[in-house]
Amino acid sequence: MLLEGSHFIHSPPSRVFALLNDPDVLSRCVPGVKSLVLDGTDSYKAQVEVAIGPVKGKFDGKIAITEKVQDQSMTLKVEFKSPVGIANALGTLKLEPENDGTTVHWAGEPQLMGMIASVGARLIGGVAKVQADLFFSKLELEAQKVES
Amino acid sequence: MTEKFFGKAVKRVEDPRFITGAGNYTDDIVLHNMTYAAMVRSPYAHAKINSIDASAALALPGVLAVLTGKDLVAAGINPIPPGWLLPDLKISAHHAIQPDKVTHVGNIVAAVIAETRAIAEDAAALVDVDYEMLPAVALGSTALAEGAPQVHELAPGNVAFKWEIGDSAAVDAEFAHAFKTVEVKLRNQRLVPNAIEPRSSLADYKRAGDEYTLYTTSQNPHIHRVMLGAFIMGIPEHKLRIVSPDVGGGFGSKIFQYPEEVIVLFASKKLNRPVKWTATRSESFVSDAQGRDHETVAEMCVDADHKVLALRVKTIANLGAYLTTFAPAVPTYLYGTLMNGTYKWKAIHCHVTGTYTNTVGVDAYRGAGRPEATYVLERIMSRMALELGVDPLEFRRKNFIQPDEFPYQTPVALQYDSGNYEPAMDKAMAMLDYAGLRAKQAEGRKNGKYIGIGVSTYLEACGLAPSALVGSLGAQAGQWESALVRVSATGKVEVLTGSHSHGQGHETAFAQVVADELQIPMEDVSIVHGDTARLPHGWGTYGSRSAPVGLSAIKMASDKINDKAKKIAAHLLEASVDDIVHEDGKYQVKGVPEKSKSFFDIALMAHLAHNYPADLEPGLEATHFYDPKNFVYPFGTHLAVVEVDANTGHIQLIRYVCVDDCGPIINPLIVEGQVHGGVAQGMGQALLENTVYDDNGQLTSGSYLEYTMPRADNMVQLEIGHTVTPSPHNPLGVKGIGEAGTISSTAAIANAVIDALEPFGVKHLDMPYTPEKVWRAISASLPQAADD
Repeated sequence: MLLEGSHFIHSPPSRVFALLNDPDVLSRCVPGVKSLVLDGTDSYKAQVEVAIGPVKGKFDGKIAITEKVQDQSMTLKVEFKSPVGIANALGTLKLEPENDGTTVHWAGEPQLMGMIASVGARLIGGVAKVQADLFFSKLELEAQKVES
Repeated sequence: MTEKFFGKAVKRVEDPRFITGAGNYTDDIVLHNMTYAAMVRSPYAHAKINSIDASAALALPGVLAVLTGKDLVAAGINPIPPGWLLPDLKISAHHAIQPDKVTHVGNIVAAVIAETRAIAEDAAALVDVDYEMLPAVALGSTALAEGAPQVHELAPGNVAFKWEIGDSAAVDAEFAHAFKTVEVKLRNQRLVPNAIEPRSSLADYKRAGDEYTLYTTSQNPHIHRVMLGAFIMGIPEHKLRIVSPDVGGGFGSKIFQYPEEVIVLFASKKLNRPVKWTATRSESFVSDAQGRDHETVAEMCVDADHKVLALRVKTIANLGAYLTTFAPAVPTYLYGTLMNGTYKWKAIHCHVTGTYTNTVGVDAYRGAGRPEATYVLERIMSRMALELGVDPLEFRRKNFIQPDEFPYQTPVALQYDSGNYEPAMDKAMAMLDYAGLRAKQAEGRKNGKYIGIGVSTYLEACGLAPSALVGSLGAQAGQWESALVRVSATGKVEVLTGSHSHGQGHETAFAQVVADELQIPMEDVSIVHGDTARLPHGWGTYGSRSAPVGLSAIKMASDKINDKAKKIAAHLLEASVDDIVHEDGKYQVKGVPEKSKSFFDIALMAHLAHNYPADLEPGLEATHFYDPKNFVYPFGTHLAVVEVDANTGHIQLIRYVCVDDCGPIINPLIVEGQVHGGVAQGMGQALLENTVYDDNGQLTSGSYLEYTMPRADNMVQLEIGHTVTPSPHNPLGVKGIGEAGTISSTAAIANAVIDALEPFGVKHLDMPYTPEKVWRAISASLPQAADD
């Protein structure tokens, strides 16, 4: 199932791009993040706590940024595992200048395995949307903070 | 006259304990020093196991052991074999714990044993397994396609077997001169069994005597003793006791040998402590053998008089990742042989390809092969009637085997010994007011009210089974049954039966028959089952075999008790044994009722042996092993009426009439209960249930959020009738009823739904008939609005 959405950030693409590549900013913005550390170039190790419907789990994983085009786009490869299952995804972020800010278009195809697939598969769309809303609203705050 | 119990609606004697929480289920058993197991299961449908790091789990206080597949292999534990073989069967090694590779979600990769269940579950989450994901395949036809991922190297193209029955050339010849032919493509979707009680196993190894006891949720404890003892673990059978106490529903899913039973036995010896494992509902979804899952193309033809000529069936049966105990038999000998139904075919040919996929194993589920066959046959019969423009019931009537044609040899091996199909159909039609309802249906359609009437004039073969016959077909087991009737010194009777009761009410129905045979009160009889240490060898309960096979053995053992009792009475009454009659609860001299001995007198003297025939052994007990001569062939007519809401696609069952012929009825209350449960289960398949795997082999319907079980509001008060055609070959004439409801109702309801959708030009939809699917089919048939 392809999930996608877009969010407007009141900040130029160069700024937004920089924020999206800052581990400290990401640690503060990714919902449920317990830790997020740089692990080589464009690669992160992370621990997040996520609930998908009735299934809640602590996920350990890696995020690798591939195909990075400065201030324009990047592709993310996400691999997380937990006792309740595995979540992998390949996602893209595209930054589009718009008026006084940037529209971030995101898309991704999650692959769920194990318990989260058997009880959470049809809930993932809603969960992803809520998580994205949370992430981008926090990113907006970060953008304001940096600018002020 | 003593009270007769046969035919009486005696309330079930087991129910008070079940409904007051006094049942004794496996998980209720708590042993001193008991430990708990939790399984580490694969989240991948197909993956290599690179490594397993159990250090974090072992570091948790209270964890006693973490077992892996390599531990079991090193200890000489063999894979779990199937219990039925077919020619050229490709058997995948099913290890209790997989050592190298996983092939379905839920496959066990490690087991944690700990002091409490909570610790075991927490520790299982800490076992770090490094997998290398492999491509997976979930659907049978996809598995057979060129270039599909390979589930097992030993089965190229994922083919486990190819099997056929019938005469292909004869079928071709009939099609060549047929008046009309039709073809249907049918998907018989996969089902999850969902017994109320999840599986549970408790192993108790005793160093003194080197003996094992396994308490487990099983329909057939002796089958486990043979498989675990002789084939898997190398435990001498006399050192292995299997107990299946109260079991909360099986529906086939508790026939099979499961990995967890091997694991707890192994762990109990290793730790020298009892080890218990009980499934969570989520585990049941990914570890209980599932049911059905066929993709079928069927064709039939008729002559100009609308007489059926030939039937050609090609089926892909998805077996899942492993061959569970009876997996090879269900889509073959329990399926292809049932294609004849109640009709007079000139020729039939059925070809089945069994495929491996990265899914949970598929095996017997209530009806086991027969619901799948009935669905094919009854759907195509109704489709042919539709294409011919004739009434589906009259079309069937025209093609029934007639009462004077028995024994009837079908083109697919079975020889029906008895049957009388029209009276059952007539009775069902009268109960429904079939003609009146058809008129109402026609009238309703004019006013946008869409009802559908569906029929299934099913037949099933049950009472499994003549042992030599099933042996010649590949069964690795006998299918006779044992009974031991043991009379105590005070005339109380224990009946030890190899049949197992897990909802069937044996403690009541069997006791009714024994009370009649021995002319004693029912409360003086107890039925003992489910313990290999107490019973003679028996083969358990499945295939509606308990009454026709298990109870036949009991009846014949009871006859032996009466024979011996008469000899003792003759001695005590100083009469010839030929002059002793068993009447009014007494053994008496014919014509001299005052010269008599009670059952109590006889039982006491058999034990005291003070005044006793010199040539007779003391004691009063008898054993009988009964091997049936044939299957039994219950049949009947089920009529389902549904109403479709054309605006929402919602289907409501509004009437359900069933007339079953299961032979003489021992207890009408229990038979009615079996019919209720069976019809509800079949309705579940038709309208609600579906097991969905995604393209990666992930089960996406693994909870009751996604998997819809039947509920009260889906049902209707059943209208139940019977005809009685006894089986000619067993001593009570009884047939089976446990599976009939499921076998027949799915097809009847499917036919009703398609009949309701006829005004919309819908000739076929695959089950389940969810509102969305029905609404889409209706919408597709309607003229599109102008602005679309």
